[in-house]
Amino acid sequence: MGTWDGILTGFAVALHPSVLIYCVLGVVLGTVIGVLPGIGAMAAISLLLPITFYISPEAALVMLGGVYYGAQYGGAVASILLRLPGTPQSAVTTLDGYPMAQQGRAGVALFASMMSSFVGSVIGIVALVWLSGWLASIATEFGAADYAAMMVLGLVAASTIGSQRPAKAFAMVVLGLILGCVGTDVNSGASRLTFGRTELLDGINLVALAMGLFGVAEVIGNIRDAERKGVPEHVNLRQLIPTREDLRRMTLPTLRGSALGCFFGALPGTGSTISSFLSYATERRIARQPEHFGNGAIEGVAGPEAANNAAAITAFVPTLTLGIPGDPIMALMLGALVIHGIQPGPMMLDAHPDMFWGLVVSFGIGNLLLLILNLPLIGIWVSLLRIPFRWLYPAIIVFVCLGVYSVRGSTFDIAAVAVIGAAGYLLALARFNPALLLLGFVLGPLIETNLRRAMLISRGDPMVFLERPISAFFVAVTVLLILGSLLGVWRRAKKAATPTG
Amino acid sequence: MIRIHRQATLALTAGIAILAAGMASAQEWPTEPIHVYVGFPAGSSPDTLARLITDPLSQRLGQPVVVENKPGAGGVIGVQQMLAGKENYSFGSTINGPLTTSPRLVPDTSYDVAADIAPVALLATSPLVLAVSADFPADDLAGFIAAAKAEPEAVSYGSVGQGSGAHLTAELFADAAGVQMLHIPFASYAEVTTSIIGGEINSGFMAPSAAMPQAEAGKMKMLGVTSTEPFAQVPDVPVMAGNAGLPADFRAELWNAFIAPAGTDPAVIERLNAEIDEILKDPKVQQQLMTMGWQAAGGTPDDLAQRITDDTQVWGTVIDKIEAK
Repeated sequence: MGTWDGILTGFAVALHPSVLIYCVLGVVLGTVIGVLPGIGAMAAISLLLPITFYISPEAALVMLGGVYYGAQYGGAVASILLRLPGTPQSAVTTLDGYPMAQQGRAGVALFASMMSSFVGSVIGIVALVWLSGWLASIATEFGAADYAAMMVLGLVAASTIGSQRPAKAFAMVVLGLILGCVGTDVNSGASRLTFGRTELLDGINLVALAMGLFGVAEVIGNIRDAERKGVPEHVNLRQLIPTREDLRRMTLPTLRGSALGCFFGALPGTGSTISSFLSYATERRIARQPEHFGNGAIEGVAGPEAANNAAAITAFVPTLTLGIPGDPIMALMLGALVIHGIQPGPMMLDAHPDMFWGLVVSFGIGNLLLLILNLPLIGIWVSLLRIPFRWLYPAIIVFVCLGVYSVRGSTFDIAAVAVIGAAGYLLALARFNPALLLLGFVLGPLIETNLRRAMLISRGDPMVFLERPISAFFVAVTVLLILGSLLGVWRRAKKAATPTG
Repeated sequence: MIRIHRQATLALTAGIAILAAGMASAQEWPTEPIHVYVGFPAGSSPDTLARLITDPLSQRLGQPVVVENKPGAGGVIGVQQMLAGKENYSFGSTINGPLTTSPRLVPDTSYDVAADIAPVALLATSPLVLAVSADFPADDLAGFIAAAKAEPEAVSYGSVGQGSGAHLTAELFADAAGVQMLHIPFASYAEVTTSIIGGEINSGFMAPSAAMPQAEAGKMKMLGVTSTEPFAQVPDVPVMAGNAGLPADFRAELWNAFIAPAGTDPAVIERLNAEIDEILKDPKVQQQLMTMGWQAAGGTPDDLAQRITDDTQVWGTVIDKIEAK
C-alpha cells in the first residue's frame, strides 16, 4: 500500500464514528491525567486496558495512543502555573514556564506550550509516516556503546541548565547519579543503597522523585510567603496572546525541539524525558543571551514541549515497525493487541495496514482536537491561580499522593514523596536546582548499564567507543564541548587577570 | 445427676453448634470479596493471565474477585502483601520466581516458601525458545553448540538481568551442553530483541511469542524450545531435550501459580483448586492463554508443591554454579 493510499485508508478508519469517539475519549482523558500531578499515562492506560478487550483493536490502540500523547499536553499546565510537573517529562518546563507565570505571563507560557506541543506532534507524525523505516534502522543499529556515549554527551551538555554556580550544579547531578544507583544492579544482581528495604529493590520511583522535588517542595516553600506573585486580576484574551516577538523567539526552538524529539522518541529505552532535557540544554547553549534562561525565557518552554510531544509520536516507530516496545507504556499497548490476537512484530504493518494507517491519521485528528480543546482552556487554567492557597495546596498534596500511589500501589512511595519533598525544600532554600538532580537520576542508570554492557560485549576493550562511528561522533562532540567550556573559563580568568597584572 | 446431665446436654449442644457453624462457614465461603495479589503491574503478562482466571472464578464463587497489583522485586512484594491480607480472603497469582529462586536472590524476602505458602493450583506454563539473529552461522541446536564450543564465551546471550529466568535457563543450558557463553544483561526483552536483530549480541532465551514474529519476518531463527513436548505456539521449533547431546529430561519452563497463605482453611483451598481446575479445562480459556503464549496447566495442590520443590532444586543448583564463578 502506497503512502497516500495508506493515508486515505487511515482517514476511513479514523473518521469512522466507532473509532473517532475513542480518539476523543483518549485525548480528553490524556489531558486530564496530564494536568493532574503524578497520575501519568502509565496508570491510566493500565486501568483502561481491560475495557479495550471489548472494543475493536483499532479503537483500542487509538484510545490508548490518545491518552499517551494527550498527557504530554496536559503535563505542562501545572508545571507552568504551579511549578508542579504533571508528568516527569514536563519537569523541564517548570524552569522557565514558572518564572513566566510569576511575571504575569502564564497565559503566554501556556499558549507557547500548546502551540509548540502541536507543532512537535505534527512533525512527529510526518516523521512517523515518511521516516519510520530510517528511524527504525537507527534504532536497531544503535548499540550499547552508542547509547553510553550519547547519554554522556547529554549529561555534559545539560548539566549547565539553570542559572547557578557550577559547583552547585555538579553537586546536584552527582546526587542524582547516586540516587539512580539505588536498587538491584542488573549486572550482578546485588542490591545497592536499599538499606534492606524490598520496596527499594526496583529503585526510587521516578514519579515520587519528580513530584517530591518539584511539587511538594514548592507547596512547602509557598506556605512561608502567602503573597502570590503574578496573578492577574482579570484574565482577558490579550494576556494570552503572545507578542510578535514571542512568536519569533518560539519558532526555531520549536523546530529544533521537534527534531530532537523525533530522534530520541524512536530510540527504544530513552524516552521523552531525555528529549525535553536535551532540547532545553541545546536552546540554552546556542542562545545569544543564555542568562535569560531560568528567568522566563519562552524558548525554554517551547523547545522542550515540542520535543516531548514529537517523542511521544515517534515512540510508536519501534513499536509499530519492529514490534518492539520502546517503553513500558508501549509494552502495555502491544499487550492490548495480543489480547485481540494480533501478534506485534515486524510483519504487523503488512498484516494490518488498516490499523497502522488508522492510528497514524488518528494522531493527526487527536492533536488537532487537543489544540482546539486546550487553547480555550488556557483562560480557565490561569484563573485557577486565583484559588486561595488554603484550598489549592491541600488538593495538590492529595493528588500527588494519589498519583504516586497509582504507579505501583505502594504506600512506601507515598512516604518516599514526603521525605523527598522535605529534602527538595531544603535544596530549594539553598538554591540548588532540582532539575539537575532529576537529569542525573534519569541519565545515570542508562549511562551505567550501557557502558558496562558495551564493555562486556567488547570483551573489555574500551576502544569500542572510538571504533563505532556513532559512538566516536558523540565522544568527539563531548570532548569539544568540555574543551570549549575550559577555554571559556581560561579566557575569563585571563581577562580578569589582565587589568591588575 | 440432673445437674450433670444438664451440663452434658449444654456441652453437647454447644459442640454441635460450633461444629455446625464450622461447616456452615466452609459451605458459605466466600461471604465477602476475595483479593488476589499480583506482583506485577496492571496490563503486564502475569496480570492479564491472572485476570483470565479471576473473572470466571468470580462468577463461580458468586463474590467479586479483585486483582490487587503490588508490583516490585520480581513479584516478591505481591507475595508479601498476600501474606499480610485477611485469612481465607487473600490469595496470590504469581510467576515461578518468588516461589523458587527469589529466596536465593533477594536479600530478604521475609517469607519462607515451605512454611508460609499453601499451593493451590498451577495455572499455566511456558517454555523459552533459543533465538539467534538471522545471520548467525548455525541453523540448528547442534551447530549452535559447536559454535559455542569453539572457545569460551565465543557466543554471547542476552537476558533480562542477573538471576532472571532467561539468565538461569541459559546457564542451565550451557551447563548441560558443556559450553561457556558470555552473559549480557538487559533491562527488558525488548532490548534483548533489538540487540539480537542489530547483531550486537548472538542469542537469547525468550518467550516464544516474542521470538515468533521476528522469526516470521526473517530477522531471527529459533533453534530450540525448552519444554519436553513441542509447544503449540511454535510447533515447528524442535524440542531441546534429547537433542544435540542434551539430556532427555532437559526442561526449563516459566509458570504461573495460584497460591494462598499457609493458614488458609484446607476446605477453601480444595474448593478453589476444583474451580480453577475446571476453569483451566475450558477450551476458550485455554485458547486465550495460548494467544498470550501460555499453556494451561491445572492439577492438585500437591502437584504444584512438587513443582515448587523440583524447580527450587534445579535452579538452586544453577545459582550455586553461577555464584561459584
